[in-house]
Amino acid sequence: MEPRTEKFKELVARELHNPLSQKFLKVMPPIQNMKRSIGLSTFPDIEAAQAYGAAIRQEAIARLPELLEHFEKNALANGAQVFWARDAQEANEYILKLAKERGVKYVTKGKSMVTEETGLNEVLSQNGIEPWETDLGEFIAQQLNLPPFHIVGPAINVPVEEVRDIFMAKANLKEPTLDPVELGYAARLFLRDKFHHVQMGITGVNMAVAETGTIINVENEGNIRYTKASPRTQVSVMSIEKVVPTMKDALHLIRLLCRNCTGQKLSAYVSMDSGPKKKDEIDGPEELFIVIVDNGRTKIYQDLKARQVLRCIRCAACLNICPVYGQIGGYAYGWAYSGPMGQVLNPLLLGLEKTQDLYRATTLCAACKSVCPAGIDHPSLFLYYRHKDVTVDPYFGGKARPAQEIRFFKAWAWAIKRPWLWNLGIKMARPFINKNAREGIIRQIKGSFADWFRQRDLPAMAENTFHERWKNLKKEA
Amino acid sequence: MNKVSLFIPCTVDLFLPHIGEATVRLLRSLGVSVFYHEEQTCCGQPAMNAGYQKEAQKAAQHFLEVFGEDEIIVSPSGSCVCMVKYHYPELFENDPEWRRRAEEVASRIYEFSQFLVDVLHVEDVGASFSGKVAYHESCHILRGLKVSVQPKKLIQAVKGVELVPLNAADTCCGFGGEFAYHYADISESMVKNKVENYLASGADLLLLGEPGCLLNIGGYLSRNHPQKKIMHLASFLADYRREKA
Repeated sequence: MEPRTEKFKELVARELHNPLSQKFLKVMPPIQNMKRSIGLSTFPDIEAAQAYGAAIRQEAIARLPELLEHFEKNALANGAQVFWARDAQEANEYILKLAKERGVKYVTKGKSMVTEETGLNEVLSQNGIEPWETDLGEFIAQQLNLPPFHIVGPAINVPVEEVRDIFMAKANLKEPTLDPVELGYAARLFLRDKFHHVQMGITGVNMAVAETGTIINVENEGNIRYTKASPRTQVSVMSIEKVVPTMKDALHLIRLLCRNCTGQKLSAYVSMDSGPKKKDEIDGPEELFIVIVDNGRTKIYQDLKARQVLRCIRCAACLNICPVYGQIGGYAYGWAYSGPMGQVLNPLLLGLEKTQDLYRATTLCAACKSVCPAGIDHPSLFLYYRHKDVTVDPYFGGKARPAQEIRFFKAWAWAIKRPWLWNLGIKMARPFINKNAREGIIRQIKGSFADWFRQRDLPAMAENTFHERWKNLKKEA
Repeated sequence: MNKVSLFIPCTVDLFLPHIGEATVRLLRSLGVSVFYHEEQTCCGQPAMNAGYQKEAQKAAQHFLEVFGEDEIIVSPSGSCVCMVKYHYPELFENDPEWRRRAEEVASRIYEFSQFLVDVLHVEDVGASFSGKVAYHESCHILRGLKVSVQPKKLIQAVKGVELVPLNAADTCCGFGGEFAYHYADISESMVKNKVENYLASGADLLLLGEPGCLLNIGGYLSRNHPQKKIMHLASFLADYRREKA
């Protein structure tokens, strides 16, 4: 998927006026937040449960190299094959080679964010191998050729009428209907047929357990289980940070993931695979390939502060709570990852110079931080990135800020230690600002502040600042 | 006798000085002696938020030089207090001497309602107001300082007041300093939602503790619903105390 993060403002302007997105955004996030609260209330101590999750993820990232090697060793012992991909290209080429060697015409896919990131579907399609998304939402998004609107519900905003039309055209829906059960059934029949003859399945990974070499998938539709169990060849793609030390850790993270994501105590399906089908087993793939993708994450790991973004377990609680996401939805972020988790991750994966809007389009309200089960401090990272951007960081990138802004802050910093100058500056600014005021209210200022005044006023600058009024207040005492 | 040093945010100094005056009068009426360092300028939050940490450090050094000896610092703003309390120590991560000074001051600075309730142990300031009010939970007061109960206690102790629930009270109003400037359209949609919730609450007056939110929500009200009132909690308590007296 080609990143469009530099088009943020353009996409925002479009989405703010997209009636479908707006209609959806008014309704869904509050419901998701409520479900999450109800789900979390089943913990005896919510804060402790969240903090435990954060500690697990913090430890996992701190021990990342060691845990990955441990995981590989155990996965190999289980009979899986492990491939380390340095970047998206290596991962895609390897998977393509596997598919070609086996002569497969198509693959079924379980929902996987990392393959959205690497653009695997495009590569497979270009090489004549059709990727069928089997997650219902992902299937709809794929048919519409849209990026995910939400990392958990990629097509959650698509109205049912549109789903009906796509299914009529592309999924053998016989009679037009708006009944969700019938629509689901049509998709099921259509995809079931794909599963029957599938040679190769590709899924993501929610957790990779170092101590057992097990890969875990959490889902509600059963399509990932199908994709993992039906074909002869199964490919599981994971980014390096998915590893956790122990099965006990993984189980706690599953509790947190489900509650924070959909408010469920447990999703309908959780599948754990330790290697391919063994001799005496009746199902499972004959061969299992685990592709471990770096794609810029080792670089993130090297930075002690930034590495916390790798803790993310993709629950999307931060999207649902985010007041900015709540206005603009997922398309505006321009890539696979959206909302606050995307705003902290994308800049490091794509470069700070290409993603300025992502870490600046936030009020630093910290709603994301307050819900994160992995303990990520998003606002602090936004400030970290902004600083790196301003100083054009040699490691993560950055783009020089507008000259006018740089000049402003230089002058500002010069005056800040000189109260006489500071107060003089205020005195001199007053007539310029207040020339726009009528009866103590400014309704319009031309120039770069004009946008504020489209829907908002500003009180005129006080004739006497507090600083000036203090002289009288002092006497009153 | 209690003595506090008053730290006035730029927004209050320039645009909302009556909030500063109200803070002084209210504190004095509660027997607190207030002093104001005339050398104070800005805490550095605009530079910090824009990514100019070197410039923010200069502001922090000035602040620490001016306020360094004060035993208690009070400010009618949550975000400025967060800047001093949390970001100053971070800014001097690699400078032990300034970091020590920053940490000392960090432990002695309070947001206005926090000081009243947690330090002064005052809830009833002797104000009365008949009508319905709603309270907007400003992000830096609520999630930054974990202050939420304190302002509500102060409001509920006002004679005759009815504190009504505000839907999505803890959702950001869309100010965010430079955010409202760089992303005015998103900011505008956010403040519109905030005001819709205020209108739906049935309150006669919206109260809050953050001057930035006041400029934002107040600015939208002034343009679109000029009859709807909004006040900083300090002004509310001081004004309705004075009227009674």
